[in-house]
Amino acid sequence: MRQSLAGDQRAYATLLTETTRLLRPFLSKRLRFSNEVDDLLQEILLSIHKARHTYDGKRPYKPWAYAIAKFRLLDHLRAHYSDQLRHAIDFDELEENLHEHVTESEMSYESISGEVQKLPEKQALILQLMHQEGYTAKEVAEKIGMNESAVKVAAHRAYKVLRERLER
Amino acid sequence: MDNIEQLVASLSKEASAVKPAPHPFMLSLQWTIAAAIYLAVSLAISGLRPELLEKLHNPWLLAEIAALLGLFIVTTLSAALLAFPDLHQKRVLAFAPVVPAVIFLFVILLAWQADTPPAPLPVHSFQCTLSITLMTLLPALWTFYSMRKFASTHYRLAGSVALLSAFSVGALWLRLHEVNDSILHVVEWHYLPMLAIGLLGLWLGKLLLKW
Repeated sequence: MRQSLAGDQRAYATLLTETTRLLRPFLSKRLRFSNEVDDLLQEILLSIHKARHTYDGKRPYKPWAYAIAKFRLLDHLRAHYSDQLRHAIDFDELEENLHEHVTESEMSYESISGEVQKLPEKQALILQLMHQEGYTAKEVAEKIGMNESAVKVAAHRAYKVLRERLER
Repeated sequence: MDNIEQLVASLSKEASAVKPAPHPFMLSLQWTIAAAIYLAVSLAISGLRPELLEKLHNPWLLAEIAALLGLFIVTTLSAALLAFPDLHQKRVLAFAPVVPAVIFLFVILLAWQADTPPAPLPVHSFQCTLSITLMTLLPALWTFYSMRKFASTHYRLAGSVALLSAFSVGALWLRLHEVNDSILHVVEWHYLPMLAIGLLGLWLGKLLLKW
């Protein structure tokens, strides 16, 4: 790090690569999905870059890097859970809609299949299996060799993208 | 993984020589000197209370001022440490303001008990809180502005401690300027608002020190 602070670009690249190697297991233990780990790792590297002037090279590097990693992890988890709370269904809202047709939907899979095909391949396949062929998330997971929660997350992301596109 | 490799490559390309931040001890010393100058100038303009030397023979007033001074010094040091992501690896010192705060509280309680018969209440009331708050503005702005240059990972606590440090400068100024012997008035209009300021600092810290 001392060499990096002096402007040695190669030393800095090595330091960031080593930091990635150091932090990946730390984040993997705390986050469920590998794409989340990658996203957060990138955010942490950016934070380390931004805050590098607060490290003077005279004290151990690891506690400094871990402090930033922990800070970004907590931020990420806070945002994640507040996002989940925002999207949680209010029971009162649910009750109000119960008398309506809950088994029929004005929007069929066929009517939006064009949009579904524009999604990434895996997400499109998951929606097709779940909504056109009627498989459950568990069955889809077995069929395409993913775990069930990964299928649910991919479907959730696909719904979000579709909702945004259809609302436009 | 490719994204991370790309990011590492682009960040290392951007990396130029960086001047490390000053040591937190030096930083807090700078802030303390700036606050001392500010306090001296303010007292020179507003004037010391006329009977200050005589009043300083009262051990409780002396203890109160010493405790307030201690609180200011330790909160300044703590604010400087809290501005660093790893608290400059001096965790105990960063959380040290608890000690002078407890001592300060203890001194005030004892001074309150010793105030028999109670000194008469002054005619003014909230004006004191207002004056302290106005005096606090400049040191608070200066401290927050300096802290924003660093990278606090405890931004709420850092905000609260920074504001307490700035408020203690204001409180110190008024205690040396105002002709008042009522500890009840001092508790009510000088020190209780300090608690509110501490809470406000938690919010301000999130607003101004988040990065």
